Amino acid sequence: MKIKNILSILATATFIVACNHPSVPTNAEKEARLPRIFPDYTEVTIPANICPLNFVVQEGATEVVAKFSYPGGEMTYGDGQKVEIDDVDWEEMRKMAVGQSIDVEVFAKINNTWKAFNPFKIHVAEDSIDEYISYRVIQPSYVAYEKLSINQRNLTNFEEREIYNNMAISTETTGQCINCHSYKNYKTDNMLFHMRQGYGGTMIVNNGELKKIDLKIDETISAGVYPAWHPTKNVIAFSTNKTGQSFHTKDLNKIEVQDTESDLILYDVDKNEVSIITELEDELEVFPTWSPDGKKLYFCSAKFEYKNDSVAKETEMILRYKEVKYDLYSVDFDPEAHQFSNVKMIYNASDSLGQSVTLPRVSPDGRYLLFAQAEFGCFHVWHNDADIYMMDLETQNVQKLDNVNSARSESYPTWSSNGRWIMVASRRDDGNYTRPYIAYFDKEGKAHKAFELPQKDPNFYTFFLRSFNRPEFMIEPVSVSSKEFTKKAKEDAIKAKYANQ
Amino acid sequence: MNKNYNKKNESAGKKTPSFANHASSKKEQEKKTLTITPKASWLIALTTTLIVAILGAFFLVEQNSDVLFMAQNRSFFTTNDVFIVECMRVPGGLANWIASFLNQFFYHPALGAAIMIGMWIASMWLSKIAFKVKLEWMAILAIPAVCLLVSMIDTGYWIYYIKQIGYWFYGTTGYLFAMIAVLVYFLFSKRTDYILATIFIAFTYPFFGWYTLLALIYISAAALVRNSKEEALADRILIPLLPLVFVGIVPLLSYFLYPELRLKDAWISGFPYFTSDQVVSYTPAIPFIIMAVTPLIFPFLPKQEVFKGKAAWTVYLTSAIILVTSYVWIGKSNFQNHNYHAEIRMYCAADEQEWDKVLEEMTRLPGDASRQMVLLKNIALFNKGEMGTKMFKYNNMGEAPSNGFDTLNIHMVQTAAPLIYYYHGKTNFASRWCIENSVEFGYNFNNLKILARCAIINKETDLAQKYLDVLKTSIYHKEWAESMEPLIENPQLIAEHKEYASVYELWSNMGSVLDGDNGLCEMYLLNYFSNTMNKDCKPLQELTLNYALVQKDIKLFWPRFFLYAQLHKDEPMPTHYQEAAYLYGHLEPQNVNISQMPFDKNVIDRYNGFQQLSQSLLASGMKTQEVGEAMKSSYGDTFYWFYFFCRDIRSY
Repeated sequence: MKIKNILSILATATFIVACNHPSVPTNAEKEARLPRIFPDYTEVTIPANICPLNFVVQEGATEVVAKFSYPGGEMTYGDGQKVEIDDVDWEEMRKMAVGQSIDVEVFAKINNTWKAFNPFKIHVAEDSIDEYISYRVIQPSYVAYEKLSINQRNLTNFEEREIYNNMAISTETTGQCINCHSYKNYKTDNMLFHMRQGYGGTMIVNNGELKKIDLKIDETISAGVYPAWHPTKNVIAFSTNKTGQSFHTKDLNKIEVQDTESDLILYDVDKNEVSIITELEDELEVFPTWSPDGKKLYFCSAKFEYKNDSVAKETEMILRYKEVKYDLYSVDFDPEAHQFSNVKMIYNASDSLGQSVTLPRVSPDGRYLLFAQAEFGCFHVWHNDADIYMMDLETQNVQKLDNVNSARSESYPTWSSNGRWIMVASRRDDGNYTRPYIAYFDKEGKAHKAFELPQKDPNFYTFFLRSFNRPEFMIEPVSVSSKEFTKKAKEDAIKAKYANQ
Repeated sequence: MNKNYNKKNESAGKKTPSFANHASSKKEQEKKTLTITPKASWLIALTTTLIVAILGAFFLVEQNSDVLFMAQNRSFFTTNDVFIVECMRVPGGLANWIASFLNQFFYHPALGAAIMIGMWIASMWLSKIAFKVKLEWMAILAIPAVCLLVSMIDTGYWIYYIKQIGYWFYGTTGYLFAMIAVLVYFLFSKRTDYILATIFIAFTYPFFGWYTLLALIYISAAALVRNSKEEALADRILIPLLPLVFVGIVPLLSYFLYPELRLKDAWISGFPYFTSDQVVSYTPAIPFIIMAVTPLIFPFLPKQEVFKGKAAWTVYLTSAIILVTSYVWIGKSNFQNHNYHAEIRMYCAADEQEWDKVLEEMTRLPGDASRQMVLLKNIALFNKGEMGTKMFKYNNMGEAPSNGFDTLNIHMVQTAAPLIYYYHGKTNFASRWCIENSVEFGYNFNNLKILARCAIINKETDLAQKYLDVLKTSIYHKEWAESMEPLIENPQLIAEHKEYASVYELWSNMGSVLDGDNGLCEMYLLNYFSNTMNKDCKPLQELTLNYALVQKDIKLFWPRFFLYAQLHKDEPMPTHYQEAAYLYGHLEPQNVNISQMPFDKNVIDRYNGFQQLSQSLLASGMKTQEVGEAMKSSYGDTFYWFYFFCRDIRSY
């Protein structure tokens, strides 16, 4: 037999397997409830360009069949407990259902009896989503760091690529930890991420050119930590933080990350200069974020007065950790003169509600502001009570986004570039591992039910034992290669200057 | 030719007696000349194979069963794609994946060892065929197997610090693959086939990493020898050198494809590193280097039909030297530190709640115990309800763990702390160190089981289910995971469960504080429990009393002692608590008046005896340490001895 013949037989077999759509059971018993599927895609609204929503049916069935009915046709899938949708089929379904919905009916063979569950809808929005997101892939770790990377994922398919992998230099010197990443206006030719210890420094891509900058100057308490790239100017607002970690012996929040000191700085990328934005006494300023017009900087700040001189600040902070509550502030910014003025509190969460606000993000139209809120502290990714809230900046009304939240931690909210999609880091799956959840935000300002970032293998999240932290939208992939980042990381950082010198 | 000639002479000898003398002397001479007959060749090969098998069985199963079981415990495998994708992030991923799968069989050390020895023997015989080596040289072909055996038993405490999840079977898998690759290459005979085979083998680099490169180098060496008489330059030089070109190019190209790969690692991807805390150990890497280099000799080994005379002597001598040297090397490399093995056995027994086994290990100590052993011993006694009566009857010293051959810093948080924390009801700290360790060394069955247990106790139902789901895809931990499932969301079952009951009770009765152990498990437990008081939970209260004893802090002792007495009104006061009370009552009589306390006569007698003997020994001019040694046999089982002579203990 010739190789050609073998190949053609294999191709035919593959085609037959790939196109195998199971038939719908004819005499299934009605089960008057929705099926338990993971991830939960029941009654969600999805972008017009999202990849297939594969899921697994968690009904203890030996076989499952899912019938997808869409305008113009229907398809069935089922492989054991999994429902994995063919990419081409999905594209057709999705296109036909734009502005409408796909009806899904799940059948499961349980104890040799087929059950038919209540059908559910997957609504396909007319709005598409940014093609890429990026996130830090990390163990839900505490102090240790080594195996971590920043990855980018194409939302229209399942392709994932590493932007930077820390293992490339992790065992050299003392190793380093990668911190938050940020993009200028969702584009990647101006982006950054920070590394600390070992080959520490801030990796800044400025108009496609990669530099490594040491932002720690004598006048600041640390290098830049939480970043926000100005939407139009080449300046980046950072928080500077003296951070400590301590551990709950029993509380399921497990970790407290606290800043004993924190301020805000502005880094002028072109001039390589650092200036101080705020360093108010007894205030812990953190989480800067720009308004889309770049004329306001929002940030969080907690009033915290150290009272006990006999113990170290870190110790006092640990003893009084529940007293640390952040409020939401804004400060006006003159983009031409790089001047800040008029600091004002726009949301008093601490006094009026006994709550703490973190991680603010303004919608691209400047109308809404998302943030995370919990009882105390600044590290809400470990706080089970942390939920996403939204402030209407026109009315100052604040509402909790119930459709986005869960009983577990939600944090790191962010907007897609068209403002129609919200993404959050949620621990709702198991309480320990953070996953990106995406929710539709319609024109009426209503957030719809959030759905988990789809994966090719619907069991992926069960077996993947690392977190997806700080998910960010991007409209294009990162062009600087991982190797370029690695090479630059090993070079000495360029020392930033103090602007007032 | 020779055989025919001999036969002719033999037959001629019968017919022509005049040549008889000459012929018989020649025969004599022939007889005297050492010749390796085909039978003898097979005997050499089979004996060598048998020796490898015996050495393997002896050193793996007889000497290191405990290590193999622990190796399996600290390995990981799941059938889900996520794991293979993770493995494939660096070249050599498939070998790592296969090795991780095979590591599981060390759950039954003899089974895992049998598979491993089988693979060594297979690679020996495959290399014989691939390199067309004569049977007589089987001892040389066995050198890589010996190296792999050494790599299994020389790791010492690196077992806790190896970052290659498939380490234990990785070398064996990789080497076997390299031999198969060489064999496959030489199945061909045409120039174009050689080129295609070289390309094909080069493309296995993502799967087998540096073992692919080794295969290419071996092929190159073998082809150079085999083709040396070829006329065409292409056959003689270019074909043999082609694999080396790929050795240069493929890793370089791969460097740009693998974000995680460092350039300096591109040619040795899959070679195990022994680095931790800036300590680099070369000793455990030596076997891999010898293993890699040895096959380069194979193509050059003499290939004559019959080995006789000097050649035969060379064969026998070489084989003997190799086998004897191997035995000596294996023996020397075999890490037989008693505490190292005892710690492993105690850990595994504690993991299974086999408390008697834990204590048995402490009775077999030839020297001092390590702090980890002391803690595991105390956990066993605690679970048997014998802390107060037997805690000081066992060794309580603190022999520092050490590899001896390097300066590896061994930290308990990376060896046994998660399990120790777990049995103290400190589930958050146990999970913390499981996760922290997984950042550097990856997840393994052991820490996943602890994570699952902690999640069950913590009532983190989804999390517990997640860990159990992962464990359910393993061969040998599936059953355990399934048996744990009913406990999720069932506090009643947890409270009644043989394993969980005491942990759950401790956990339930402890409050939550914001804290940290600074990487020192024992110090943390000591400080936490000795400074805690609890009147609602008897076991927890007893633990606080025990840690107060270990702290040797009189002020901490008395309130916990009285609370114990209150909570155990109708029970006899355990000996060690009486000893402590009697001693402290004498040391600081102003604090507590012990005159009315009903001490056992034995406690009083032994205290008096202890005092008298110690005084007399000190009066004789002995130093404190010498006095301690001298009194150990008679009073080493008392709190008195512990209080005065168990000093300078350093935790790690």
